[in-house]
Amino acid sequence: MTELLRADHLTRHFKIGGMMSRRTLHAVDDVSFSIGEREIVALAGESGSGKSTIARVLARVYKPTSGEVYFEDKPLSAIRSRRDGLRYSSLVPMVFQDPFASINPVFRVQHGILRILKLHRPDLPARQRLDEAARVFTVVGLGTDMLQRFPYELSGGQRQRVGFAQALAMRPKLILADEPVSMLDVSIRIGLLNLMAKLRDEEGVSILYITHDIASARYVADRLIVMYAGQIAESGPIEDVLTTPQHPYTQLLLSAVPDPMAPLSQVTDRGEPPKVVDPAPGCRFRWRCPLAIEECTAVTPALAELRPGHEVACHVAQSGADVKAFAS
Amino acid sequence: MPEAHEILEVSGLSVDYVLPQHDVRAVDDVSFTVDRGEFLGIVGESGCGKSTLLFAVAQLLASPAQLAAGTVTFKGTNLVGLTDKQLSAIRWCDLSVVMQSAMNALNPVKSIGAQFKDALQAHGRPSKQEIAARSAEVMRMVGIDPVHLKSYPHQLSGGMRQRSMIAMAMLFTPDLIIMDEPTSALDVVAQRALMMQIKELQQTYGFAVIFVTHDMSLISHFSDRLMVMYAGQIDELGDTRTIFDRPLHPYTQGLLEAFPSIHGPRVPLKGIPGKPPDLAMIPTGCRFHPRCPHAVERCTAIVPDLYPVDGDLVRCLRRKDGTLPDDLGAHLARTGRDPMTELLRADHLTRHFKPGQDGGVTR
Repeated sequence: MTELLRADHLTRHFKIGGMMSRRTLHAVDDVSFSIGEREIVALAGESGSGKSTIARVLARVYKPTSGEVYFEDKPLSAIRSRRDGLRYSSLVPMVFQDPFASINPVFRVQHGILRILKLHRPDLPARQRLDEAARVFTVVGLGTDMLQRFPYELSGGQRQRVGFAQALAMRPKLILADEPVSMLDVSIRIGLLNLMAKLRDEEGVSILYITHDIASARYVADRLIVMYAGQIAESGPIEDVLTTPQHPYTQLLLSAVPDPMAPLSQVTDRGEPPKVVDPAPGCRFRWRCPLAIEECTAVTPALAELRPGHEVACHVAQSGADVKAFAS
Repeated sequence: MPEAHEILEVSGLSVDYVLPQHDVRAVDDVSFTVDRGEFLGIVGESGCGKSTLLFAVAQLLASPAQLAAGTVTFKGTNLVGLTDKQLSAIRWCDLSVVMQSAMNALNPVKSIGAQFKDALQAHGRPSKQEIAARSAEVMRMVGIDPVHLKSYPHQLSGGMRQRSMIAMAMLFTPDLIIMDEPTSALDVVAQRALMMQIKELQQTYGFAVIFVTHDMSLISHFSDRLMVMYAGQIDELGDTRTIFDRPLHPYTQGLLEAFPSIHGPRVPLKGIPGKPPDLAMIPTGCRFHPRCPHAVERCTAIVPDLYPVDGDLVRCLRRKDGTLPDDLGAHLARTGRDPMTELLRADHLTRHFKPGQDGGVTR
C-alpha cells in the first residue's frame, strides 16, 4: 500500500496555568504512524487522550512542538505560501463532531459547497459549480433538492452528510473525521459509517476516523490505533488488534464495549486517564494496570512489533508474557 | 393495607406542545408502571418523546408543553394537579431527576458542596454538621473522595461530574430516580463504570430507576424491563432479556440491528431507513409503516393498539395476527450463528490409514 501521510515522532505540548507558570500539558507525546492510500485508520481512546490534538496538527491548526508530518513525502513545515496551504487543506479536509455547530445556519447549505469550489478549485468555471455541488451531494446520498435547504431543515444525519459533501467537493485524498457520528442517533450512525466505507471504496479517499466507539471502528476501519494519555498504546490491523489485544489498556477498552449478545464482563475499573502535566518517565497506564512491574515505573515503553504490523507499547507484552489484564 | 408493589403508575398520559398554528402531541396515551426497586429502560430515537415523557412524570413540563390527559400516581398520590408547594415536598425527597448534561445541570460558579447544601436546606433545616456529614456520605456512595465537595464543576472529569449529579439525586435516599441519558457524554470506559455504579447503588439502597437512552446495547445487562418508544407512543414493552432475544416489533428489530458489534462476523448493516415522523404530520395507520420493511396495506389504514403477545406488549398489527415474517436471518447473523452460511459440515470425521507394504496403503 502506498503511504499517503506519515507522522514522525509527533509531539504537541501546551503551556498551562498563568503567565509565570512553567507547567506543560503533554497532549501528544512522540507519536509516529502512517496512513496509506484508500485506507480507513481508526484512532481510538478516551476523552483527553490526544486524539483531537493529532487531527488538529494534521489539519495544520496547531504546529507540532517537535516532530514532523509528511504528506506525500513532503514535510508540512515546508508549506509557506497561502497557495500551498490552501492546496494542502483541500487535500486533507476535516469533518467535525457537531453537525449542528459546523454549518453556517444563516445560509443555504449550497453556500458552503459553492464557496469551497470557488476557493479550492479555481479552475472550475463558475457555471459548473452548481453541477459539481449536485454531484457530491448525490455521492453522499443527499437529494440535489437539499442544496436549497437551510441547515435547520435537515436532520442530524443529513447535516453530517453535508459535512462529508463539503470535504468531498475539494477532491480530497485524506479526510480527518473527528468523531463524526458520536452526536448522532444510533439508528442513523450506520448510514454514515456505510458512507465512509463507500468514499474509500468508490472515491479512493483515505479517512482518519477518530472515535471512542470501538465497535463502529471495527465496522469500517482497516487499521486501529489505540491512544492512551497522549501516546500510542497499540496499533495494527483492526481484526488482529481486536482478537488478540496485547496492551492491557486495549483489553480494558474492549471489555467496556456494551454487547447485548455477550455475557456481562465483570471488569470494574473506576480509574481515569491521568492528566499528563510534566510527566516523569514510565508507562502512563501503570496506575490502572493490574500487571504493572517495576520496569513500568522507570522506563517509558516504546512501540515494538509483536505480530506482523501489530505494534504494542507494553513492557509485559514485550517480555513475551501472555497479557490477560481485563477479560472481555 | 399491604404495601403497594408499584411505586409509580402512569396511566393514559398525553402531552401536547401548544403552538400557534396547531398543537403537537409529543406523548400519546402512554401507560406503564414501575415497581419498587425496578430498573426500567426507555429507548427510542431523538424526537420520539422520551424526554418529554420524563418531564411529564416529574411534573417539570414548562410552556409550551402541556399535560393533555392522564394521571401519574406516585406512591398512591396523583401528581397531576398538585401545586408547586405540594410537589416540592415530593421532589428530590422521594423522586429525583438526573439530567443529561452534567456540565449544564451543575452551577458552574458554585462548588459541588455548596450545591448539595442548597438542596439540603430547601428540604429542611439541617445543621452545618449534618450537611457536611450527609454530603460526604453521598459522595463516598458514588466513589468520589469528599475533598471534591470543595471543587467546582469544571475541575472534575466528565465521569465525576455525572457521578456527583447522581450523589446529589441521592441526598434524601429517594424511592425513584429518573435518569435522562446520564452517560451519553462519556466515553465507553467511564460509561461502563457509571452503569455498574448505578446498578450497585440500586441494589444497596433499593430505589427504582427510569433510565432513558438511545443506545439499546448500553442497558441490555442493567435494566429489568424495557420500553421502546416511537413517535410519542409505546411500541414495545416487556422483559429486557426477552426483547433482546426475540424483538417483536419491526422497529425494535431495526434498533437492535443498527449498531455494529465487536464480536462475530463483520456483516454489513443497514440501520433503519428514513427518520422518525414529524409529530405535526403523523402518518396514517401505524406510525412506523413508512419505514417498516414488513408494512402491508392495512398497516397504512388501521391504527394499531398495544397487543399482548407472549407476555409482552407490542404495537404491531401483523405481529398480533402472526403474519409478520420473522427476520431470523438478520437476527442470527448478529449472534454469529447464521445457518445460511453453512455450506458443508464435517461431523466427528475420522479416517485412519494403515501403513502397508512398500509404503502403499492397504485397507
